[in-house]
Amino acid sequence: MDGKKKTHRGAAHFLPRPGGWLALASLLLPLVVWQVLSSMPGMTAFILPSPLRVAVRFGEMLADGSLLRHTGYTLVEVLLGLALGSTLATFTGYALARSHLLERMLSPYLVASQAVPVVAIAPLLVIWFGPGLFSKVLICALIVFFPVLVNTVVGLRAVPQNLRDLMVALRASQAQILWNLEIPAALPVLLGGLRIGATLSVIGAVVGEFVGSDRGLGFLVNVGRGRYDTAMVFVAIITLILMALMLYGGAILVEKRLLRWEA
Amino acid sequence: MKKIFLVLLAVVLITGCAPQAAPTAAGELVKIRLPVGYIPNIQFAPLYVAMEKGYYRDAGLDVTLDYSVETDGVALVGADNLQFSVASGEQVVLARAQGLPVTYVLCWYQQYPVGVASSPKEGIKTPADLKGKKIGIPGLYGASYIGFQALLDAGGLTESDVTLDSIGYNQVEALKAGQEQAAVIYVTNEPVQLDASGFPVDVLRVADYLQLVGNGLITNETTLKDHPDLVRKMTAATLKGMQDALDNPDEAYQISTKYVEGLDKSDPVVQKKILALSMELWKAPKLGYSDEKAWENMQQLLLKMGQIKQPQDLSKVYSNEYLP
Repeated sequence: MDGKKKTHRGAAHFLPRPGGWLALASLLLPLVVWQVLSSMPGMTAFILPSPLRVAVRFGEMLADGSLLRHTGYTLVEVLLGLALGSTLATFTGYALARSHLLERMLSPYLVASQAVPVVAIAPLLVIWFGPGLFSKVLICALIVFFPVLVNTVVGLRAVPQNLRDLMVALRASQAQILWNLEIPAALPVLLGGLRIGATLSVIGAVVGEFVGSDRGLGFLVNVGRGRYDTAMVFVAIITLILMALMLYGGAILVEKRLLRWEA
Repeated sequence: MKKIFLVLLAVVLITGCAPQAAPTAAGELVKIRLPVGYIPNIQFAPLYVAMEKGYYRDAGLDVTLDYSVETDGVALVGADNLQFSVASGEQVVLARAQGLPVTYVLCWYQQYPVGVASSPKEGIKTPADLKGKKIGIPGLYGASYIGFQALLDAGGLTESDVTLDSIGYNQVEALKAGQEQAAVIYVTNEPVQLDASGFPVDVLRVADYLQLVGNGLITNETTLKDHPDLVRKMTAATLKGMQDALDNPDEAYQISTKYVEGLDKSDPVVQKKILALSMELWKAPKLGYSDEKAWENMQQLLLKMGQIKQPQDLSKVYSNEYLP
């Protein structure tokens, strides 16, 4: 198991953790470049607002409560979509990993579904399911589904056959094999899929809000563009980035907690 | 690191500051990419006519249309990456409020083309009848939203008196499926399509209650200052196309089929009706001229809605000086 363990740990932290000064530099450098670019001659605020201007707008929108309200709404869509998409993907993935027949029957459809740009079908989903919360959750779920599915299948397939044989020899039931072997063994890869899904789900929510919505951060981007208020667009985008980072961090925490046994 | 900065700098210099509007040497055509803010459509017939009959070419202009989003067109003109764009009146006021130096130089739609469509059984005959209704709107921005606010205001209502759903450009489907009791539409387009599909509708027209500024041709202050002749040539050739289309609607339809993919496959009766209804909105004693009152109404409406904080200098927002 030692070799396996190492790859799992590697998979959980494929992004190196920056040291203190490095983190500071990686935060400051883009800000400096941004400030320099925005103060170049001919660069007006509607083309590229300065970081300061965006910060002021951020403060205004935070103060009047609009930013929190819209962020909350998008977060609800993202979390519900993530829950729905990853649950469906995990069950489908389990079925596919167990049955080669099912995999052969379904995989062309699953791969083909990935070729459909979500942006293109989002307007249809809004017509079919109405402009409310559900269509947005569905779009998030769709975008989350595939990476989680693939990771579930890969994770389950990677369970060593000799361990499976051992469980069978010990007359373990299907449920026992699933609970005591397959889930723990597949969990690291599965959670990796969830981490990708968490950031993708944010994109899904914005795509849904672009099509037809009266709230959410995607809606704020549209309003900002509609009023030529580029600083507002920046505020919404930065908030989306923060949300994705937070979800990613959250997924890593979940991973650490669930994979404590590995340490 | 220095290299990356230099590359970024170069990108910005090339894309941001390259002079786009400069006319080339005599004899050569000035290239003009004109964003019209919508997909290819019969309503752009005057532009197709002016292109097909060489009105632009005779004026030394090589015009190609760009079917991107309206706000992008305005932003590109504001940044002086393009010389002209087609945009609705409120966009010019909103853009100027954010410091975009754009000016409206030709009024194409004298009447605001937005309205509210509903099944006759809803009994929406006046703006006040909108009270309590569930209404679909493409989004809470752009001409649809401004026009809808004008109608609410005319009926003595506010947004809290209705249920407003943002449904994207799915008004026809939403009305037919009964998801919405009414929908904010373009008076020349969706009502004709609904009617043709066996779903006749009542239409409340914004233009019947408040005179606002519809779509027109915009340019930027740099182009006005450095190349006023270019602006004059552009407005003159566009007006020639408009007049020609008004005089010969059937020919304008025929020409448009060459430019609008699939138009020849659509129902010609419906498409000709859309064109005829659009033409009604263009007509004016002096084609292309902006009416001061309409601009003042627009400014007041935007102030009242809180879309702009300060009144804009209307003498910079629009001009009739570049018309023939």
